[in-house]
Amino acid sequence: MNKTISLWGQSLYRQFSLMLANQPKLGYYLHPLLRWNKPQLHPDYHSARIVDFCWETDQMLSVWLEPASSWAGFTPGQHLLVTMMHQGRYISRSFSISSSSAVFARQKQIRISCRIQSQGEFTKALAAGISEFTHLSISDAMGDFVLEPKVDAALEQSIVMVAAGSGITPLWSMLSSLRCWTSPVVLFYCVKNAAQAAFLAELKLLAAKQPLFELQLIETATCGRLNLVQQLKAKAGFSLTKAFYYVCGPAAMSRQYKDELIQQGAPSTAIYTELFGLAVTAAEGPVKQALFMQQGKLTTVEAAAGVSLLQAAEHQGLNPRFGCRIGVCYQCVCQKKSGQVLNLRTGQISGDGPEQIQLCISAAHSNLQIEL
Amino acid sequence: MKLTEQQLSELAAELDQVKAGVMSQLGDKEARYIRRMLLTQRLSAVSGRILMVLGFITPWLWVLGVALLALAKILDNMEIGHNVLHGQYDWMNDPVLHSQRFEWDIACDAGSWKRTHNFEHHTYTNIIGKDRDFGYGLLRLSNDFRWRLRNLWQFVTYLVLSTLFQWGVSYHELAGERVFFGKKKPDRINSVSHSDLKKAFFGKGARQLLKDYVFFPLIAGPMWLWVLAGNLLANIIRNLWTSTVIFCGHFTADVHTFSQEQCEGESRGHWYYRQMLGSSNFTGPRWFHILTGHLSCQIEHHLFPDMPALHYLNVAPQVEAIAKKYGIAYNSGSFLRQYATVVARIIRYSFPGGKATTV
Repeated sequence: MNKTISLWGQSLYRQFSLMLANQPKLGYYLHPLLRWNKPQLHPDYHSARIVDFCWETDQMLSVWLEPASSWAGFTPGQHLLVTMMHQGRYISRSFSISSSSAVFARQKQIRISCRIQSQGEFTKALAAGISEFTHLSISDAMGDFVLEPKVDAALEQSIVMVAAGSGITPLWSMLSSLRCWTSPVVLFYCVKNAAQAAFLAELKLLAAKQPLFELQLIETATCGRLNLVQQLKAKAGFSLTKAFYYVCGPAAMSRQYKDELIQQGAPSTAIYTELFGLAVTAAEGPVKQALFMQQGKLTTVEAAAGVSLLQAAEHQGLNPRFGCRIGVCYQCVCQKKSGQVLNLRTGQISGDGPEQIQLCISAAHSNLQIEL
Repeated sequence: MKLTEQQLSELAAELDQVKAGVMSQLGDKEARYIRRMLLTQRLSAVSGRILMVLGFITPWLWVLGVALLALAKILDNMEIGHNVLHGQYDWMNDPVLHSQRFEWDIACDAGSWKRTHNFEHHTYTNIIGKDRDFGYGLLRLSNDFRWRLRNLWQFVTYLVLSTLFQWGVSYHELAGERVFFGKKKPDRINSVSHSDLKKAFFGKGARQLLKDYVFFPLIAGPMWLWVLAGNLLANIIRNLWTSTVIFCGHFTADVHTFSQEQCEGESRGHWYYRQMLGSSNFTGPRWFHILTGHLSCQIEHHLFPDMPALHYLNVAPQVEAIAKKYGIAYNSGSFLRQYATVVARIIRYSFPGGKATTV
């Protein structure tokens, strides 16, 4: 009943806003009026004031943000989409929150920590502009890479955490938020060398203070990559099948550790992974898979290199909106959720984040998800 | 003068280069410009509506209010709406300025506009029988059309169309699809069902009427009649202005038309060539260009419909030089001169005969 009323309310508001301002929400009408001097603020997202920033290592920048009161808070381990205006356009990237829930409760502040990537448009622009920016836009916190509530309660199951590089951020948020330690936690922190390990001093301090926490720093430059199963088997009184696993790092690494753990009998429901870095890798061969979503219906389209996505979709029986088919009329513009496209007119390759593309002059450069 | 295919492809390459020079530089400057334009539009809309109510202090406030609301509607339709719907600012990735989401303060539904204007008019510009914007099926503007008795009073038809222009634009697609009257033309690709067309037409129209003639008069209380009259006047001013600008862009004396056979399987070069001959520019101060949504540079707009319009004035000298090089007419003149030729053209073809303008 309440739900019906709320749906009615929403629909009524939408109609009212359309009538008054020709916008689905009045915020779109007011945004240019109220935020004209704050180009960093995106009308769909929450405003967040930049309180402070510091360099954790020579490559990792931490930014302290004070989200507007409309922001609903987060569970440690979650990530959010950060948006800013760069050279006139909104660009976004997702980051895990690296601060604790206690700091948020006390000061209403959160921290994001980002590794500056030489090919990454967003992180480079952030590092270059951070001293001038006053605000950024943030989405609600998302994701289910969070500590099981059971763990926090009383179960005597151990927790194994594996972080590679900047993958430490959500794990450090979880660790620094833990108030009541009941189970042993071991963290394998893989970095090239100790100089690149963010939050190392804090982690060491925690290990000294908290007997249930064990820190294992793996410097891959000197001792190679971590053999997780071997390390765990060598641990006295540890059962591989009776633990929760939290793995955060590059996609290939996370997948491999997960497979190995499952082989050893660890239940797959006890393994949580969060993918970091550029998740997109070009699929094998010239033909890519484009997953089209149209009003909830999913269609997989085989998209050959050099063929426009519009043609590919039509070949599969889909009917996206189209017009001139030469990139002029913009009727076929739709939202790409993920993956990279090649612009057939300019030869440019897009980023892998969500953005609008013209179907008639875009070809698949990697596997794609597209919303019609 | 007829250009060879070789010349046409060289022409295309040169114009592509002009475009690439601008498009590769898009960034903060354009974003700041259009955001400032949005701010100006919002400020004039809000202050215009408030000042109208304050007309009880002195009617001059009401006059100022009407002028500001008309300005807001003109900016919304021309420099913002028309250009945004062409996808000129899609690269900004801003939901308020994206062609897929944008809706404007005019009776015409944005989706319908994108089909009839972006697609039909810009793809088939001035091809007789394909581009229904050439005369809107109401006016005979060249001897490519058979004379009918109703053409005799087409100057009056033109005045009525101009006054009600937003409704003409809104009904344009339904007229072409013969939704209510007439026999369906066999060669039309019908991408939207008649019921969806009707829904968009009545839905958008009703919302606009409700806003200007019910909602705002109601909340104005005792000033309701002033507000209602002011809104009506602002809408009419906008209608006359947009119609005049558009007529000056395509129906001046020297604008050419094309036959369907000429354009069958045409090259990109020929498309460019046709756009140049099918459009005309007019001159004026900077603020004047902004009020026309830079359609004063109709030639540049037709060559580069998705280039942010503030650049048309900058590339115009390059385009004119290229036109001269290839011996293509570059039709430009003062606003009054161009408008006079429009009026002359409407009157001339009210009567039988005259030149066919097909090249």
